[in-house]
Amino acid sequence: MKKVSCIFIVDDDPITVFGIKKMLKSAASCDDIQIFQNGQEAFEAVKKRKEQGKVIPEVIFLDINMPIMDGWEFLEELIALDINEHIVVNMITSSIDPMDYNKWNGFKDKCPYILNFKNKPIFKIESEDLGCINVAS
Amino acid sequence: MKAAESIDQFYLLKQLPKATALLCKEGVLLDASCSWLGIFGLPPQDKNQKTKIFKLYAEASDLKQKLRDNKPFTLQHKTETNNETRYLKSYFAPWFDKEENVIGTIVQTDDITSEIQKEKQIDWLNNILKTKVEVSKTGWWEYEVETDKLSWCKETKRIHQVPESYQPTALEAIDFFKSGYSQNKVSMLFHKVRENHQPYDTKLMLVTYNGEERWVRITGKPFVKDGKVRKIFGTIKDIHDEEMAKTRVKEHQQLLSTLVDSLPLNVYVKDLESRKILVNKGECNYFNKSVEELIGKTDFELYSEEMAKVSREEDIQVMKHLTPIIGKETVSKLNGKTTYFLTSKIPHFDLEGKVCGLIGMSLDITAMKKKQEQLRSLIDITSTQNQKLISFAHIVSHNLRSHSANFSMLLGFLNSEKDPKERQRIIDMLSNASDSLLETLGNLNQVVDVNTNTSVTKKNLNLHQSIVKVLQNLSAFLDENNSKIINNVGKNLEVNCVPAYLDSIILNLVSNAVKYKSPGRAPLIILNAVKSKNSILLSISDNGLGMDLNKYGDKIFGMYKTFHNRKDAKGFGLYLVRNQIEAMGGSITVQSEVDKGTTFNVYFNEES
Repeated sequence: MKKVSCIFIVDDDPITVFGIKKMLKSAASCDDIQIFQNGQEAFEAVKKRKEQGKVIPEVIFLDINMPIMDGWEFLEELIALDINEHIVVNMITSSIDPMDYNKWNGFKDKCPYILNFKNKPIFKIESEDLGCINVAS
Repeated sequence: MKAAESIDQFYLLKQLPKATALLCKEGVLLDASCSWLGIFGLPPQDKNQKTKIFKLYAEASDLKQKLRDNKPFTLQHKTETNNETRYLKSYFAPWFDKEENVIGTIVQTDDITSEIQKEKQIDWLNNILKTKVEVSKTGWWEYEVETDKLSWCKETKRIHQVPESYQPTALEAIDFFKSGYSQNKVSMLFHKVRENHQPYDTKLMLVTYNGEERWVRITGKPFVKDGKVRKIFGTIKDIHDEEMAKTRVKEHQQLLSTLVDSLPLNVYVKDLESRKILVNKGECNYFNKSVEELIGKTDFELYSEEMAKVSREEDIQVMKHLTPIIGKETVSKLNGKTTYFLTSKIPHFDLEGKVCGLIGMSLDITAMKKKQEQLRSLIDITSTQNQKLISFAHIVSHNLRSHSANFSMLLGFLNSEKDPKERQRIIDMLSNASDSLLETLGNLNQVVDVNTNTSVTKKNLNLHQSIVKVLQNLSAFLDENNSKIINNVGKNLEVNCVPAYLDSIILNLVSNAVKYKSPGRAPLIILNAVKSKNSILLSISDNGLGMDLNKYGDKIFGMYKTFHNRKDAKGFGLYLVRNQIEAMGGSITVQSEVDKGTTFNVYFNEES
């Protein structure tokens, strides 16, 4: 089981949040799991942590469709923060809109972090979702 | 005695009225009448003068021989004095004495100058006539009434294509005309010229000896003596080629004018001054004027100054630079009616290749243009509809998928979960998920309803009354939030709307205004309505939270888009409102400023 210092779950759907939390139990050991309803809240938290020199989340589960600030906007702001640390961002969506996939592809190139694209439903958190490089694959 | 007698004789001879001379056997002039001497310009004769006759008849070299033959003969000769030529005819006869011995020759001379000249003139005239006949191809004919004899000249025979030996009768001549109208007409004319002395001049169809049908022009004229027609003289001219050429020209003209008139085009020809010199039916119909009214007019007399100027510029361009305008789209305004034309103008050249004006053709494409516009608006509608459909499909797929994904995930957990407490939690979540799915389906259904029931009947609704009704239904909610509503909408203003949609639009916009109130201010909502030409604008303004439209823009009308942290924000109300107003042909816009307030403008389409 991988040890992760801090995980952010950014999703307005309580069921998804519940699911991710449940799946994380068996995939990672983390004492700092934070839940956010939208991108704005999550961004404020990251910004605050950076300012205060606290631990930056190592793994972020990010929903795309959210009120106030959606996943894309959050990503934009996150990149702008210019954090010099290792972050794995897992975009989670039920969308099968090819536009979202293309957008992800575009972001992948300009994002300094690992950016995964995961379609719902999710049944298991894979090790690469947590930043482990799978040597076998 | 003998001499005196002879002198007497000669004296007598001198006075003879007819020019006479006596010659001796050697051809020496013995004496002559004064008239004879006058003809030859000789002085009176006496014995000392031995005038030899042969000098006088220089042309007749064999005169000496002829005189010796002692037989009478005649001789034509001429004298020339002072540039005047006189033609003479002399009669020579032997002169006998009482014993019938030849003692000399008697000569009588006539001046035949006038006869010769007349002959020459006739020859000349005949020549002229012949040339005339040849050049004009006009033959003549002559009919003698008494003898019933018809004569044709050579040309007349040629026209009839008969051999030169042919001798026609009057009946045969009439038979040469084509049976039917031509033959009947010629027999009638011939009868009339004979009986009523009526001349004629007409064109008829001849059938020649070789069976060729040819047009001829015939004339006839009576020669009357003592009140009776003695002779009929006439001419005949082959005018077939000219007639056929004329007919062909006429046919071509007919074809051309029919063509020009029947073309579904306005055709006109203009001179160098841009005056119309030819117009077709289409052009007349367009101006609702006759040909006579249009000929000679310029565009300045037909159109407005401004349009005429443009047209004249084009004309000059075409005529000066000889560059035709082909298929240019133009707009003409006549009596307030706008017509779209596809106009072509090409330079018009005279037979010498000099430009003498222009030929214009205009195709009325107004109907096509309208169709094109209709088509374009239809394409616009279709593409918006298509866009809506695509976005709706995405919404459906996204929202339904998110629920079904949750179901799968939760059911996956349930399968492997042993802990009864945890199982109960999962089951609770499953039922929540099921409720949300039902709600989502309900919402989608509503949207589909709005977009498919385009036939829902619109009614004229009093806008003020409708607002009052919605406010009453909302009164508890409004009171709870200390809201103040100002309804400035005119009491008599009516909108053409689907009643349920109007209620929904007002309800959603008013309740949103209250929901997103500023925490520091009691909500103040102002409703205004303005009527313009094709629409009624209803604006609903609040003093609430407002939004950063640069950030959210049009997203606020998207489905399941929410922008404030409110539990009851579902992101559906504005999406539904937009669908309802657009389904009725209207539109909705928004203006907002953060922490100042928001104004929604609803445009009701009032075009029927």
